[in-house]
Amino acid sequence: MIAPGAAGLLLAGAAAAALLTERVWVSATLSLVLLAFVLGAPAARRWPYIAAAFISSLGVFVLSPFLSVQGTSIIWSGPTVPVLGVIDVTSEELVEAALNATRLSAVALAFAVYALRLDHDAMLAAAGRVRRSAFLAALAIRLVPSLERDAVGLAEAVRGRGLELRGIRARGQLVSPLVAGSLERALNLAESMEARGFGRAGRTCMPSPSWRARDWAVALLALALPVVVALWL
Amino acid sequence: MALVEVQRLSVTYGGASAPALRDVSLSIGEGETVALLGLSGAGKSTLLRALAGLVPHFHGGVFEGRVSIDGLDTRRARPADLVGTTAIVFQDPEDQIVMTRVLREVAFGLENLGVPSHELQGRAEEALEAVGALELRDRRVMELSGGELQRVCLASALALQPKLLLLDEPTSQLDEAGATMFLDAVERAGCAVVLSEQRVRRALAACERAMVLDDGALGFEGTQQAANSWLLTEPEGLGAGPIDGPLDAAGDEAVVELRNVSFGYGERSVVDGLDLTVRSGEIVVLQGPNGCGKTTIAKLAAGLLEPAGGQVERRGRAGYLSQDPGRYLVRDRVVDEVAIGVGGKTDAALAALETVGLSWAADRHPRDLSSGERERLGIAAVTVGDPTLLVLDEPTRGVDPARKREIELLVRQHAARGGAVIVATHDRDFVAHRRVAVPALEVAHA
Repeated sequence: MIAPGAAGLLLAGAAAAALLTERVWVSATLSLVLLAFVLGAPAARRWPYIAAAFISSLGVFVLSPFLSVQGTSIIWSGPTVPVLGVIDVTSEELVEAALNATRLSAVALAFAVYALRLDHDAMLAAAGRVRRSAFLAALAIRLVPSLERDAVGLAEAVRGRGLELRGIRARGQLVSPLVAGSLERALNLAESMEARGFGRAGRTCMPSPSWRARDWAVALLALALPVVVALWL
Repeated sequence: MALVEVQRLSVTYGGASAPALRDVSLSIGEGETVALLGLSGAGKSTLLRALAGLVPHFHGGVFEGRVSIDGLDTRRARPADLVGTTAIVFQDPEDQIVMTRVLREVAFGLENLGVPSHELQGRAEEALEAVGALELRDRRVMELSGGELQRVCLASALALQPKLLLLDEPTSQLDEAGATMFLDAVERAGCAVVLSEQRVRRALAACERAMVLDDGALGFEGTQQAANSWLLTEPEGLGAGPIDGPLDAAGDEAVVELRNVSFGYGERSVVDGLDLTVRSGEIVVLQGPNGCGKTTIAKLAAGLLEPAGGQVERRGRAGYLSQDPGRYLVRDRVVDEVAIGVGGKTDAALAALETVGLSWAADRHPRDLSSGERERLGIAAVTVGDPTLLVLDEPTRGVDPARKREIELLVRQHAARGGAVIVATHDRDFVAHRRVAVPALEVAHA
């Protein structure tokens, strides 16, 4: 097993490399490798992350060629729209859209691996001076399965009163109570943290195991990955 | 000097028209165990939060009087300063878990307290052992059952080695065995304890002294024995017991039939080969330990889950009240929350609120109600449509004895009108024609 701190660095390195590369195959390869790690998580927990990564990337790929103006090799020419001008799609725009879509999916999947596969408690212990920020990130990630559970509970509660939820509009009406419920959860958690002394001066931390040679090698790879990609790929 | 000194404490939350606590004075000695009793909304949670310093520092509002814990005045000492002297366990374990692994969760308070790093693991493991949960040390908190989570929360509090342990309805989600194990661990801790509970007899059995809050004021204070005698004078309040008189006989017509039903979550089988028939006018109670599948059976009967195998046949409409309905509120006014079950008819909603004693709250925001009041709101929201089959999942959780009696009366009336009722509950006294024992992770037949 790799130390969570080193694994976190590698994920950050992979995300940075995806953002820096100018080649579709590099960001696509990074996405596929990260997807393989996501698929190692329990099926019930991984699907929201995969769905979010896929839908947002697809959105970028489909929409951005219509909005950007780039290249001369026109594949399709459409109508003239006020403000936007002539709507057309060039091969250069398609390549750019594919690059941005795979960049986005790599970043989203790196976050998914972080959320699903890493031990956040151990990462917090390794966070040192940025512990407070790491703590907030860990709590925010924990919100995802809570929200999912609450959404199922809300839908069941409404169905239990004899109402069927059909269509996006009906389900959309549950967003506001879902947010209210998560705010209430957050308030309860904040109260619990205050009651357990969070924010008190002189905090200590449970010791984490020291890094081994393999962890240092992974950290080195994490730093080298974006540099290599930026310079040569 | 007493460990806890409360002098003429009054608390009014911001925006509230009436005080939550009124002129409360009390004292608690070191190592003393006190049961804090009262009807829903009487101010028990507010008093516990005042003893932890969370009122006024976290909740704000108008705070009058004085609370002193081990010589520290809570107006000047913040909750973080009181950690180590006090520790609190709240009702819902899910809302107080901070870390992702059990051992780190128990060590969280110790880390905040500044306990030397090399002592943290030992102290956390000691606390887990004290509550019989050492085997959970490396587990993810998300994978634990409600009972296991609540024991982890108690371990997190005990790890701080507090002089005063505050418990806010900590056993409301636990089965009988889980509650006994929890209270045994509390007894072994040896510190002063204030235990707020709706299961009055259970609380009195675990404590030397009792205090009863009545509409924010201290209404009774005395020994365990005196409290038991006092309860006899309160047959309509905290001393309310089950309704006397036999149930009407159940009819012959089946309202719901589950035949050879199986269901599982992923690879885990929860129900296998279940046969259960509930007839018109019949009240059937499902009982069993935490995690045995009572909720799954209830949802299958109500049509919220489709069986993986076998058949479910239902006559008429089913209404289902989920566990913890107070979390699943969808409207901004109490009356609207109920009215959505009857197409927005306010008159019917008000009548349903009247039956659960909540007509006074019709215009309030549902999330402003206490947990017991929300539970009753959930019952009104489900029963307003007069379903043929009423399925209630832990309807008496966090509900005081007087309101529990009202819920039983409502269930009896529903059955008397020819409706069928399924109740999944840990409550062994709940009125029933038939009790079905659901064994954990085994084939259930009834």
